[in-house]
Amino acid sequence: MTIALKDKILSKVTKPTRYTGGELNAVIKDPASVDVRFGFCFADTYEIAMSHLGLKILYHTLNDRPDTYCERVFAPWTDMEEQMKERGMKLFALESGDEVTRFDILGFTMQYELSYSNIVNMLMLADIPVRARDRDESYPIVCGGGPCAYNAEPVADIFDFFMLGEGEELIHEVTDEYIKWKKSGKKNKKDYLEAIAKIEGVYVPSFYDVEYNADGTIKSITPNNPNSPAKIRKRIMKDFDKTYAPETIIVPFGEVVHDRVMLELMRGCLRGCRFCQAGYIYRPLRERKSDTLLSLADKLLSCSGYDEISLSSLSTSDFSGLRDLTDGLLDITEKKKIGLSLPSLRIDNFSLELMEKVQKVRKSGITFAPEAGTQRLRDVINKNITEENIVRSTALLFSGGWTNVKLYFMIGLPTETAEDVEGIADLAHKVLDTYYAIPKEERAKQVNITVSTSSFVPKPFTAFQWEPMNTRDMLIEKQNMLKGAIRSKKIKYNWHDNKTSYLEGVFARGDRRLCEVIIRAVEKGCKFDGWDEHFKFDTWLEAFDELGVDPDFYCTRARDYDEILPWEHIDVGVTKKFLIRESEKARAGETTPNCREKCAGCGANSFGTGVCYE
Amino acid sequence: MSNYILKYSRDDRVKYISHLDFVRMFHRAARRAELPFVFSQGFNPHPVMTVAQPLSVGVTSDGEYMKVGFDGEFSPQDLTDRLNAALPPGFKILSARKVEGKEIDLTKIDRAEYWVKVEYEGSIDAQDIADFLNEPRLIVMKKSKSGVKESDIRPYIYKLDLTGSDEKTAAFSMTLAVGSVYNLKPESVIDAMEKYIDGFKPEFFAVHRKSLLCGDVDYL
Ligand code: SF4
Repeated sequence: MTIALKDKILSKVTKPTRYTGGELNAVIKDPASVDVRFGFCFADTYEIAMSHLGLKILYHTLNDRPDTYCERVFAPWTDMEEQMKERGMKLFALESGDEVTRFDILGFTMQYELSYSNIVNMLMLADIPVRARDRDESYPIVCGGGPCAYNAEPVADIFDFFMLGEGEELIHEVTDEYIKWKKSGKKNKKDYLEAIAKIEGVYVPSFYDVEYNADGTIKSITPNNPNSPAKIRKRIMKDFDKTYAPETIIVPFGEVVHDRVMLELMRGCLRGCRFCQAGYIYRPLRERKSDTLLSLADKLLSCSGYDEISLSSLSTSDFSGLRDLTDGLLDITEKKKIGLSLPSLRIDNFSLELMEKVQKVRKSGITFAPEAGTQRLRDVINKNITEENIVRSTALLFSGGWTNVKLYFMIGLPTETAEDVEGIADLAHKVLDTYYAIPKEERAKQVNITVSTSSFVPKPFTAFQWEPMNTRDMLIEKQNMLKGAIRSKKIKYNWHDNKTSYLEGVFARGDRRLCEVIIRAVEKGCKFDGWDEHFKFDTWLEAFDELGVDPDFYCTRARDYDEILPWEHIDVGVTKKFLIRESEKARAGETTPNCREKCAGCGANSFGTGVCYE
Repeated sequence: MSNYILKYSRDDRVKYISHLDFVRMFHRAARRAELPFVFSQGFNPHPVMTVAQPLSVGVTSDGEYMKVGFDGEFSPQDLTDRLNAALPPGFKILSARKVEGKEIDLTKIDRAEYWVKVEYEGSIDAQDIADFLNEPRLIVMKKSKSGVKESDIRPYIYKLDLTGSDEKTAAFSMTLAVGSVYNLKPESVIDAMEKYIDGFKPEFFAVHRKSLLCGDVDYL
């Protein structure tokens, strides 16, 4: 007649349904009936984790295997962590509530650099040794995937292996090998790692030695195991239309960030914006057929009861079947009284007409991302949007009754001058003028323009991977410059504190010498770095200092083309030669056409599929 | 359009769902069951649905009530089956009845029966409870919209029994006032027991709502 520990804890925390599982369509299995207990870990809150498409895909494809039980494992919020520590409860999986300390595999999806501290913290809460070399066969194999895995060097010592690229096939291959290894008695972890190191897309960091030059740059990255390739190539799904897509979706009880059905139209992007890591690492662009998507939409809506559906892609307007798809979706949404949301659409007559038809679009806010304030700088970053586009689209919007326009920019872009920063304000004023140019009776009564800037962070596998990031002082100066240049009360300026961007910049192009810094920072209390209320910049700086690591070396230093970069042994398809060419063109202010206009020869055609062969 | 009264249960698996989340969950379940909700008129139409005396977070129940309106006619059995197939595990529709007028008025529900488990230190027995109930007044601090106030809860305890105990945990059955006149939660009764019964130190408790009653009557 006792009260369960979990109930005692949950009565004391906010949003307890973050920790209970049991949602509709969550998979429940008998742990005794499977060979593999897989913890799918997302190092952030439930609300963020449950909005992530990749998790949904891999969770269901793993659970479709009778031999595997995949459960979700998320970062407990700080009130929950306190309760867990006080009452001796370890990190647990949502489905069974079991501790993950002796699971077979823990797979982290690494979506952003600022979640590294949470990864370490989660391992600590699970009572699992943080460094891979300290974990024997009795502990789970810890692996990672997602965009940060392309340069996972800052957490290389923590993980047993990484999966590069798309995981729909890869995750099954490493699970199969795990079962073989387990059935053979799990003698030596190295045996398992050697077996999977041969699989394309698997990166076992301990099988590579990194040597450094006296100036701190990398001298060499060399395989130290006969099973590990000199270069690890990412995996992609060749036939994306036929790629596994779950026909069911977990429906959370509490509200999450993306609380709706998401349809993945395509992978990759054909635009080639030079700052955008996603635009390069997911190449080449591949699409699903409209029919496939419509049938998926129908199934997902029926099994979830959701009243909203959204399209997911990097650039929805580039989807070649957009008209068919939206016609079909409008049929479904009208019949079922369902809202359709259409992010990342270019504004033109077609999309405006579409938005008129769609229920759930309130006529308030439309977002543009010119990213830079002048045409010169937009050419540098290859952002294919002109002032004329924006002015013409906003004119359409304002006469159509829209009142709020949001404009997104980056500051700190390569070659940026004061003129470019002031250009942001000019552009916002031009949008405002467009509103005033419309006769009073034909426009909405009020107008609000919001300008938001984020700090540019150079990322691996982009044309700007060699560029120095602006110092924090430079960024602050530019923010102030922009503040001063905005003269209208109708224009609101939002900016970010750039301390988190700085840390992101350090990790993004970091190497293995950062592992100990991250562990130290977590020991000193850092976690949830992406959350302003928890971010402890000074503690981070102390950790760098204590370990004698200079963060500026990674962040604000310019690299030469011939420097060996920490991710030199990773092959994402896009070649270094192409990136150098793009970098040179950026410096010369020349643009590169998109894949459908003219192939730029990026190298991703080596995957033999997608837009390269249209 | 027809109105239905549904009686349903919520078990341990779904006891932490807040009232708002419960309402949203139920809308989705009805959509999955392809039961067409009647929508309210007005600027922001929402499905018509009233939950009687919403359950507190953390409490399980065998006897919750709600009233819903659907477009069309459904037999109680059909409604029950379809909803049960669509609800997440842990919820169960126990029975349904179509209502025309006001023969069932959920706003008249005025009491609830609870089973409460309390982990405690010290001691407690039936005599303690008898003495407790003999107190002329039982004053506890009670939260209301205007702040925390002293309140005498004795008139609103209709029944209180110690149904079992071991060294660490005691089980109670209690019938308490709910509704617009006075809403007494089991935790207030536990607070009062802590205050008025010497040597009884409650620590954690778990609450189960057994039934919602109108006087002595359970509607379904
Ligand atoms: S190879 Fe050409 S078409 Fe293919 S992704 Fe690269 S630039 Fe685009």
